[in-house]
Amino acid sequence: MQALIEELKRKIVAAVNLQEVKPEEIKEDEPLFGAGLGLDSIDALELVVMLERDYGIVIQEQTVARAAFTSVRSLASFVSEKRKK
Amino acid sequence: MTRRRVVITGLGIISAAGCGAGEVWQTVRNGRSGLRPLTLFSSPRYGHVPVGQVTADVDRLAGNVRGSRSDKLAWIAAREAVADAGGTLPADRQGVVIGATVGGMLGTEKFVADRLRNRRASFGVLRYHECGASANLIARQLGARGPVLTFSTACSSGAMAIGAGGELIANGEADAVLAGGCDSLCRLTLNGFGSLLLLDPQGCRPFDAARAGICLGEGAAVLVLEAEETAAARGARVLAMLSGWGASCDAFHATAPQADGSGALAAMRAALARAGLSPAEVSYVNAHGTATRDNDAMEGRALRELFDGTMPPVSSTKRCFGHTLGASGAVKAVVCVRALQDQALPPSAGLGEADREIGIEPVREYRPATVRHVLSNSFGFGGNNVALVFSQTAAATPATASGRIAIVGAGTSAGDFVAEVNPARRRRLSRLQQMTLAAAKRCLPSGVDPTRTCVAMGTALGALNEATAFVENLLTKNEAEPLPQRFTNSVHNALAAQVAIEFGLKKLNSTATCYEASFMAALWHATQELRAGTASAALVGAADESNAYATETEKRWGLPSMAEGAAVFCLATNPYPARPLAYLTSVRLGRDVEMPGGMDVVVSKGAPVVGFQTALDKIEAGCRRAAVFTVAADGQKALCVLEG
Repeated sequence: MQALIEELKRKIVAAVNLQEVKPEEIKEDEPLFGAGLGLDSIDALELVVMLERDYGIVIQEQTVARAAFTSVRSLASFVSEKRKK
Repeated sequence: MTRRRVVITGLGIISAAGCGAGEVWQTVRNGRSGLRPLTLFSSPRYGHVPVGQVTADVDRLAGNVRGSRSDKLAWIAAREAVADAGGTLPADRQGVVIGATVGGMLGTEKFVADRLRNRRASFGVLRYHECGASANLIARQLGARGPVLTFSTACSSGAMAIGAGGELIANGEADAVLAGGCDSLCRLTLNGFGSLLLLDPQGCRPFDAARAGICLGEGAAVLVLEAEETAAARGARVLAMLSGWGASCDAFHATAPQADGSGALAAMRAALARAGLSPAEVSYVNAHGTATRDNDAMEGRALRELFDGTMPPVSSTKRCFGHTLGASGAVKAVVCVRALQDQALPPSAGLGEADREIGIEPVREYRPATVRHVLSNSFGFGGNNVALVFSQTAAATPATASGRIAIVGAGTSAGDFVAEVNPARRRRLSRLQQMTLAAAKRCLPSGVDPTRTCVAMGTALGALNEATAFVENLLTKNEAEPLPQRFTNSVHNALAAQVAIEFGLKKLNSTATCYEASFMAALWHATQELRAGTASAALVGAADESNAYATETEKRWGLPSMAEGAAVFCLATNPYPARPLAYLTSVRLGRDVEMPGGMDVVVSKGAPVVGFQTALDKIEAGCRRAAVFTVAADGQKALCVLEG
């Protein structure tokens, strides 16, 4: 799980083009949106595309996306459960 | 002196809810859904989501006109509106103002698909790519000689066009205006809204507790607007009045509405103020009500604040039509006029259990009511909000005297923009947006009050690079792995919206997409707001960038190649926030615009926005009066006059 968490941090930084943030600076339990990393709704959609491209997980409902993106840790458990590749 | 009252004398509509105002009203009053399975094209990813597709034979109905599906929809609606208004309108002082977001994208998608598969692609469809093609087609068919304008402000485009048409009549620039909106379904918008997770496979359910998004629709609606006195002189039947229009910008986010509803509220208040009405006089609200979680919650909040405990009846008719994007504001206008004519309220179709958190109990059944004034909301991406007011009858409003409009700042940018845009913002901005922001930054004087400033941009091709990148991606990957960021940046008004977000500019946010006349149209729109006193400053500009498809087409057709760059000017009324560089005394568009005498300099070559800068330089060099006078390919003339 820890390896997946680190992998996801790198992918998040790349997917939303965070130029000033290093992957290791993202805290596992920090909210990805709003107060924590400060991502917004369009970033969330870029992450949805990343999940589809890299893990074969297709999300079409906002509610699913919102639940998955609470933190990097929640995202990692979502991915390990749903991944197709 | 008073402004002329604007009457509505004809309606035309083609939509999933039917063709013609009568048929459409039957669907709407019965609360019937216009949604059905998509057959216009196939969509592997979103084919299961119902759409408001027009089932009538559009090509046959349009007769022998050439154009995109959008153009044909627009022409069918316009032709019906003219027939409804009595069959003939005076052509010499007749304008056409249309709102649209996708133009001929459906045809362009086929072109791109053919190219990607190395099949022979027909360049012919690209003639109808631009959003401005629909208005030009209507003007050509009707022989209209007045101003021909197109606005593209995402989902408020149709309402923006109707407001601008009202302005042309009220201030005496036209006696009759065909005003409305059009959009056809296409892969770009279906996949685009899909990539934003905003489509509801169960069909849109506005204001419902379980609502989960929009369903796209297509169609066109056109109103005949006339000056009350000229309509009376020709014995026209008056259906209703267009009594108010108002616009605002959230200046908040590229796609999400400002949750507190303050932007929407500002537009509604501006429209009521223009109509000279208080909120208590509103009999019915036709809500934007798209059925996204965010829009409906935000709109409810704004309505609660506006009406302060005495909410008039509210409904959303989106399920009858689907969300017709650029046409939506015009489609809704037809519903509002019919509600006034029939003295009845249309139900909110698709409503199961109303969302308590929104705090609105929408109209559930068609019912007779006293309907005097109707408020219609349209909110677009980029926080481009427009509200319209339709009335049985309305008082004339006095003309305002704003004094002289000065140009107080000028900025341009071509390749040299990167350093001026904050890196945290830059990661999300397209190249053209960065170029535009740099120009805006260079022109904006520090003394400008952002909350009293409007933005009007003109663009010919707009965000074509974003749109083609999105479409190429969806075609090559069979609709997998979409590019949401490209889609949000592909709307033409993203440029003006990003300018507003960067500087917090909260007044009208307008984007004109009418070929070579785009900058002049933007200039015209900004001066309306300044003259009306609804804004005290305006950023007015033009921006375009090169695109591979466009360059190839220019070569093939032997057209001059389009230069890229952005220029933005700051206009203001007295008290001026900075030293005036020149004064703008006149902006006019139309086939019969004449060059006034007494000019020291006339700039008539090249792009109008470049000409404007040249004229400004001449004034600074000591010239007294300089004019920019251009003739577009469709024959429309545009003139502006600067004085020292």
